[in-house]
Amino acid sequence: MKKQIDNIWIGQKDLVKDADFMKTADMEFAEEQVSYADMTSNLSGNRRDFLKFLGFGLGAATVAAGCDIPVKRAIPYVVKPDQIVPGIANYYASTFVNGGDYCPVLVKTREGRPIKIEGNDLSPVTGGGTSARAQASVLSLYDTNRFTGPKMKEGAGWKDTTWADLDKTISGSLQSAKNIRIVTNTVMSPTAKKAMSEFAAKYPNTKIVSYDPVSCSALLDANEKNFGVRAVPSYRFDKAEVIVSFNADFLGSWISPVEYASGYAKGRKIADIANARMSRHIQVENHMSLTGSNADNRVLVKPSEQGVAIAHLYNEVTGSSVSATGLNDRAKKVLSKVAQELKAAQGKSLVVSASNNVNEQLMVNAINNVLGNYGNTVDMSTPSYQRQGNDADLKVLVDEIKSGSIDVVMLFGANPVYDSGYGKQLAESLSKVKTKISFAQVNDESTDLCDIVAPNHHFLESWGDVEAKKGHYTLIQPTISPLFNTRQTELSLLIWASSVGIDVTKEQPYYEYLKESWKSGPFNTQSEYASFQSFWDHVVHDGIYNASNTSAPSFTSVAIGGEITKPASSELEISYFETVHMANGQYAGNPWLMEMADPITRTVWGNYLAVPVNFDGIKTMVGFKDLVDGDLVELTIGDKKVTLPVIQQFGQMPGTVSLALGYGRTLAGNTGSNVGVNVNDCLTMGPSGPSYYNTAVTVSDKTGEEDEFSCVQYHHTIGVRGIDKETGEEINADEAALVFFDYFTGVKGFQGALTDRSVIYTSNVAELKNSVEHLQERRKHAQHLNDQQIYRGFDHLYSLGHHWGMHVDLNACIGCGACTVACMSENNVPVVGKHEVSIHHEMTWLRIDRYYYGDVENPNTIYQPMMCQHCDNAPCENVCPVNATNHSSEGLNQMAYNRCIGTRYCANNCPYKVRRFNWLDYTKADIWPANQPRLQEESVPFMADNLTRMVLNPDVTVRSRGVIEKCSFCVQRIQEGKLTAKTEGRVLRDSDVRTACQTSCPTGAITFGDMNDKKGDLTMKLESPLNYIALEEINVRSSVTYTMKVNNRDKSFDA
Amino acid sequence: MIYKHLSIKTIATLFSMWFAVTLSAQVSPDAGKELFKNYCAACHSKDMRSAATGPALGGAQTKWADDVALYAWIRNSQALVKTGHPRAVEIWNQYKPTIMTAFPKLTDDEIGSILVYVNGVYDGTYPPKKDVAAVGTGAKVEEKSQLPMYLIIVGVLAILALLLTKIISNLNQIASAKEGYQVEAKTITQILTSKGVVTFLIFAVIILGAYTTVNKATELGRQEGYAPDQPIKFSHATHAGLHKIDCQYCHDSARRSKHSSIPGTNTCMNCHSAIKNGSMYGTAEITKIYASIGYDPSTQKYIENYNVKSEDEIKAIYTKWIGDEYKRVKEKADIDAEGEKVVADQWVNIKKSLTNDQKKQIQGPIEWVRIHNLPDHVYFNHAQHVTVGKLACQTCHGKVEEMDLLKQMSPLSMGWCINCHRQTEVKFKDNAYYANYTRYHEELAAGKRDKVTVADIGGLECQKCHY
Repeated sequence: MKKQIDNIWIGQKDLVKDADFMKTADMEFAEEQVSYADMTSNLSGNRRDFLKFLGFGLGAATVAAGCDIPVKRAIPYVVKPDQIVPGIANYYASTFVNGGDYCPVLVKTREGRPIKIEGNDLSPVTGGGTSARAQASVLSLYDTNRFTGPKMKEGAGWKDTTWADLDKTISGSLQSAKNIRIVTNTVMSPTAKKAMSEFAAKYPNTKIVSYDPVSCSALLDANEKNFGVRAVPSYRFDKAEVIVSFNADFLGSWISPVEYASGYAKGRKIADIANARMSRHIQVENHMSLTGSNADNRVLVKPSEQGVAIAHLYNEVTGSSVSATGLNDRAKKVLSKVAQELKAAQGKSLVVSASNNVNEQLMVNAINNVLGNYGNTVDMSTPSYQRQGNDADLKVLVDEIKSGSIDVVMLFGANPVYDSGYGKQLAESLSKVKTKISFAQVNDESTDLCDIVAPNHHFLESWGDVEAKKGHYTLIQPTISPLFNTRQTELSLLIWASSVGIDVTKEQPYYEYLKESWKSGPFNTQSEYASFQSFWDHVVHDGIYNASNTSAPSFTSVAIGGEITKPASSELEISYFETVHMANGQYAGNPWLMEMADPITRTVWGNYLAVPVNFDGIKTMVGFKDLVDGDLVELTIGDKKVTLPVIQQFGQMPGTVSLALGYGRTLAGNTGSNVGVNVNDCLTMGPSGPSYYNTAVTVSDKTGEEDEFSCVQYHHTIGVRGIDKETGEEINADEAALVFFDYFTGVKGFQGALTDRSVIYTSNVAELKNSVEHLQERRKHAQHLNDQQIYRGFDHLYSLGHHWGMHVDLNACIGCGACTVACMSENNVPVVGKHEVSIHHEMTWLRIDRYYYGDVENPNTIYQPMMCQHCDNAPCENVCPVNATNHSSEGLNQMAYNRCIGTRYCANNCPYKVRRFNWLDYTKADIWPANQPRLQEESVPFMADNLTRMVLNPDVTVRSRGVIEKCSFCVQRIQEGKLTAKTEGRVLRDSDVRTACQTSCPTGAITFGDMNDKKGDLTMKLESPLNYIALEEINVRSSVTYTMKVNNRDKSFDA
Repeated sequence: MIYKHLSIKTIATLFSMWFAVTLSAQVSPDAGKELFKNYCAACHSKDMRSAATGPALGGAQTKWADDVALYAWIRNSQALVKTGHPRAVEIWNQYKPTIMTAFPKLTDDEIGSILVYVNGVYDGTYPPKKDVAAVGTGAKVEEKSQLPMYLIIVGVLAILALLLTKIISNLNQIASAKEGYQVEAKTITQILTSKGVVTFLIFAVIILGAYTTVNKATELGRQEGYAPDQPIKFSHATHAGLHKIDCQYCHDSARRSKHSSIPGTNTCMNCHSAIKNGSMYGTAEITKIYASIGYDPSTQKYIENYNVKSEDEIKAIYTKWIGDEYKRVKEKADIDAEGEKVVADQWVNIKKSLTNDQKKQIQGPIEWVRIHNLPDHVYFNHAQHVTVGKLACQTCHGKVEEMDLLKQMSPLSMGWCINCHRQTEVKFKDNAYYANYTRYHEELAAGKRDKVTVADIGGLECQKCHY
C-alpha cells in the first residue's frame, strides 16, 4: 500500500503521532526519561552523603581559598626550532591511510602536537575534502590502548622486550622457516611494497597475502579479465548524467567515497534555475544505504536478487538473454525503464556494483562498455589502487595454516581473525604456526593470538608514500616524534631482511630509504626539477606529486554466462553493510567515530537490526513483527544466535533485514570492545570472497527492550507537527499557535513554538520553477514580521565591520558526517558514552538532521546540518538571567561559559534545539565507568588521561560541568583570521576564515563568510532563489541559509 | 555654638592634613632614582659603594666643599677642571683620560634629587624600609598610606556623632524636664543593648561580611604584585634597562603569536657565549645557562652528547670553570679555602635551580616560574596588542626595565582589561583592515567623532576573549 506525503517526517513516531513522542517533542531534554532509578543505578548516595559532601565541599573550599595559588612553571625550549612559534599552528602535508582508506590531508600541529586534520586541496583526487574516518584519525594517535613498545607473549599476557632481543628472536625463526606469509590489507605504498619484496627476496619462501576487510575481489578480478589490470577504474561521477548503483555505497564507504562524493555533488548542485539540470541517480538495494538515501529513485531487490537484477539490466541494455529469472516484477519493470534512460545517455552514464561475484561484475563492465562509458565516465587510464585484496589468496593461506605448513605469519595492519570471514577457522588453527608476528598498534583479536608484537608507528608518526591512483603520489610525513617505543613496520622488515638500503645508525633509516626509493622512482618521471633535493622539498611541502598519465588499456570482451547469485525463496534475508564510521571494525576503537551517529539510522554505540516498516493502508505504520525501535529480538543466522535491538528503517525492503558490520569486536580497546554484535563469522565464503548476505535467517518476536536505546533521531527535534490539545487535531501553524511575546522593551514579536513550518523545502527538478515561486511566496509571508526586533540598535552595528553568516547547500550535502567529527575535533566537544546518549545528553554542536519525504515505503531523504543559527533576534539571549549568552556586533550569538549558571532556559527557548548542557563533567570525570558498566575495568576515564588530552585544541575552552555550550561559528578561527588580516594590514578575505565543518566537507556544501563582503563567496551563494531560512516565520532572523532540496526522481518508476 | 566651632576646626584640620599628604616635594629620591638610571648608571655603580667606570658616588657630596661647585661639576666637569677647582682637579687626575659626560640640561632640582637618592642608597635609608616589607603589593601601598587618614576621619565623625547624640538627648531631657516630665537617663548598657543598636550592628556585620566575601572571592586567583624567586636571578633592569635590549629581542613571539613566550636558552647564548661574568653575581648565575644548554665556557665549545653526560661529568666541567674564574678575578695562582667554598656553593645553587621534583636532570630547559597567569577560559593574544594595537609592553607589564626581580604589575582582572578597551583608541586610519568600518571613517572625517575606541568595534563583547 502506498501513500504519498508531501511534507517531511523524521521517523515512524512522527508519522503515527506517537503520544509519548509528541509529549516530549517540544522539550529540550526529555527529562522524564531520567528516572530516579536511573540515577541510583549509576550513582550511590543519600541525604546523609549529600550533607557529608556539602560539609566537605565547604571545608575544602575554605581551605583552598586560604592556600596560595600553585606555582605554575613556564618551560622554554633549550634550542628553539626556527619553525615553531608557541601559539602558532603549523600545517604539514601528509596522507591519511588505513588499508584502502585514503585521504590526502594537512595536519595542524600546535607546539609539536597534531590536533586537527584538514583536507589537502591540492589533491586532484579528493579536492580537499575529508571523511569522518580521516577527521577522527588524530584521536587514534593518542589512544591509551596503544602498545608502548615491542612485546612477547608470556602465558596469556604480554611481556615487554627490547627491539634488539626481538630482532634476534625473529631472525632466528626466519632463518629456519619453511614458509613465511605476510598478511596485509590493501597496501598503497610503493616503497612499502619495495620493502616487502626485498624481504621476500631475502627469504624466498615468503608470500604476501592481501585481502580487504570488506571485499572487492570480484570487481578487481573482473577488471583483470576485461583489461588485464587488476585495479579499480577511476569513476567520474561528475561527468555522469545517469548513475545506477547496485548496492554500492559509493558516497559512504565504497572504495573511495571522498573522491566520488566530490564528483557526485558537482552533478547535483543547481546553478541555473531556468535550465536546471541534475544527474539522475538510481540505487538498486534492499537496505537504505547512505548512497541510497541520496538517490532519486531506489529499486528494491532482495540481496539474493542482486545477480538477476544486474543480469536483467544487462539483457535490456545489451540485448543479450542471460537467465534473469527470480527478479521481483516491480524491479524488473523499473530496471527496463532504467535501461532506456541509460541507453539515452550513451557515454554519460555510469553503472557500478558492489557485488562480490565475478560474473556479475563482468556484466556490469559489459554494460558500461556497451554504453560507451569507458574513457568517459569510467577511466581505466588512471586506475585506482585503493582496493587490492585477493580473497582467493586468503583462502589458500587459511588452508595452508590449517594444514600446518606455515612457519611464520606476519600480520601487517590486518585483523583477519575478526574481519575476514575465516575468523573462526583462523582462531582455531593459528596455533599451528610456529611464529606469529603482529605489527598492530593496538591489541586486537588476531594480535592476541600472536607470539610477538613489533608495534608499528601511527601514520602521524611515520614516513611513507602512497600511490592511491596510478601516477597520483602523496607523501606521509611525521608530525610528531613517536610517542612510544614503536618502530615502523617497513623498517622492521628491512632490518630483518638485512637490507643494504638501511643504515640503522641513521636517525631515521626508513626516511633515507624512502628518499632513495623516490630518487629512482617518481623523480625520473618528471622534468620540472633538475635536482632531486628541490623535487623532494617540493613534494614534502605539497604532499602531492602527479605524474603524467598513461594510456588506458583496451576493453577485452569476456564471455558472460558464469554462475551468478541465485535468488532465494526463503521468507527472510539479511544483508550486511559497511557504515561510514565503523568500516569493518577498523575504527571501533575510536570514541569520536563510535559516538558519531550513523547517518541513516542515527544510532550510536552499537549496531541495530534494521527492520522494514510498512503503511497499513489506513493510518498507521506497521513494523516488521510489530517491532518498534529499541525492542530486543533474537536473530538466528544458520546456527548462530544473537540478541540485538532493532530499529525501524524506512525504505528497507519487506522480507529483508539488515545489520551493520564492524561491531561486536572483543578486543578493540576501552571504546570498541563488546559494543554491538559481530556477524563476520556468518559470511558465506564464495570463490571470490564473502558475499554480504544470508538467506537462512529468522528473527524472533520481541524478547525485551534495550536498556540504553541510543538513537538520536528523536532527540532535539524541530518543526514537527503540533497537536491541538482540545481538538486533538494537527495544527497547521499560524500565528495563533505561536507564543505572543512582549518583552519589557515594548517591542512585539513572535518566537518559539513547535509548528509544521519551514524546516525543509523540497522540489522535483522538473517542477523547480513553480516550487521556487511557492518558496518566494512563503518567504514573503514569513518575512512580514521582520521589522519587529527584540534587540534594537544592532542593525547599524552589523553594517559595520563583519556580519557572519553561513550557507548550506542541501543538494550537495550527502550526510556523510565528516563535519560532525571535524566539529568535535576542533571544538573539544566531549564524548559522553552510550548511557548518556540514551537519555538525550549527546553533546554534538553540529548534528545532521535526517528527514524523509515522499513515498512512505520508499522515501527520499534530506540531510540538514543543524547547528546554532546565530539568530539576530535570538530567543535564547533574552531568557538568560545572567546574560551569559548575548549578541556580538558581528552577528555572533556568544556563549560565555564562565558566566553560565546552568538554568538551561536558553536551551528550552531555542527553536532549533542546538544548545547542549554539560550534565556531568564529561571532559574528565568518572562518566565512562559510570555509564559503561561493561567497561568498568578501565582505570582512567576517557579524556582524563594526559595522553588523550593532547588532542585538545588549546584555543578552545574545555567546558566544565553545569554549563551550556553550542556552535560558536568557530569563533577561534574568526578571531585568528581577523588577526591575520590586521597584522598584514589588509581587508579580510574569505580564505582567512573557514569553519571546521566547511573545510571538512567533501562536497563543498557549507560556505561560511562575511555577509558584508559584497564580493565574497557567501554573498554569491546568498543570491540563489533556492535559498530559505529554517523557521523564518518565527522571526528569529537566523544567520544560516539553506537551499531547497531538489531531487530528480523519475515518478514514472513509482507507477 | 562651641560645638559648631569645633566641627569647623576639625574639617579645617582634616583639609590641611590632606594637603600635607598629597603635596609632592620638588626634590625626591624617587625622581632621583629615575634620573640616576637614565644618566648615571652606565658609569656609576648602583650600590654607590664600589667604583666602576666612574667613582663610587656614596659620600661624594661630603667631599665637596660647596654644592655650587658640585652642581657645576655634574653639569660640565671639564669646565670646572679648567677653572682649577682643587677637588675637580683631584678627581680628574685620578680618572683621566676618562671624561665624565656633561649634563648641561639638568636642573638644580634634578641634581638635588639624584644626590638625595645617592645618599639614601648609601646610608641605607632608600628605599624606605616599610616599602621593603610591602614588596609585591604596589597598589596596596598607596591604599595603606591613606588608611590612617580614613581612620582619623571615621574617628572624628564618630566622636561628632556621639557628641551630637548626647547633646540631643540632653536637650530632650531638658525640654522634657521643662514640661514637667520626669525622665530617667538611660545607662550606657541600656543604650548599647537597645533594639536599635543591636539591629544596626547586625545589619552592619552582614553588609561588611558580604562586602568582604565578595571582594575576596573576586580576588581569588589574582596575583597582582606576584614576584616569585626565579631559578636564575635574571635582572630585567640590567638587560632591558641598562643595556637597552629590546623586549622583543628575547620575547620574539609576542609580535606574531598569542604567547610572548620565554626565550629558549639558545637566545641567551647569543650574548652570553661572550659575556661570561655577571656584574652582580659573577659566574653564579650565568653558569646556569651553560649547564642548561651544555656549553663549556672554558673551551668555548658546546659539549658533545651533553644529554647523556652524568651529573659528575657536568659538575667537573662547571666547577672547573667557576674555580678558574675565581682565581682569575682574585689574581691567585691556586684556589684557597674561600674559593673552594664559593665553587661548592655555586654548584649547589646551580643544581638546585636546574632540577626539581619532575626534572631530575641538570641538562635541559630552565623551568622559570610563570608570573602572568590567565584562567583557562580567557584567550589573550600578544600579537593583537603588540603588532596591531602597537601598545608598549610597559602598558600592562609596568616598568620591567627597572625590575631586578620581575613582578606582576597589573591585576589582570577583567575589569582592568575592559577599562583599557573602553579608553584605548584603535589605530584606525593606519590599518587597511578597518576599511569596512565605513561609517566610523565618515564620522571621523566629518569631525563627528574624535576617535574610535576598542569598545566601539566590539572590544567589550564576550567572545573577543572567551571561547
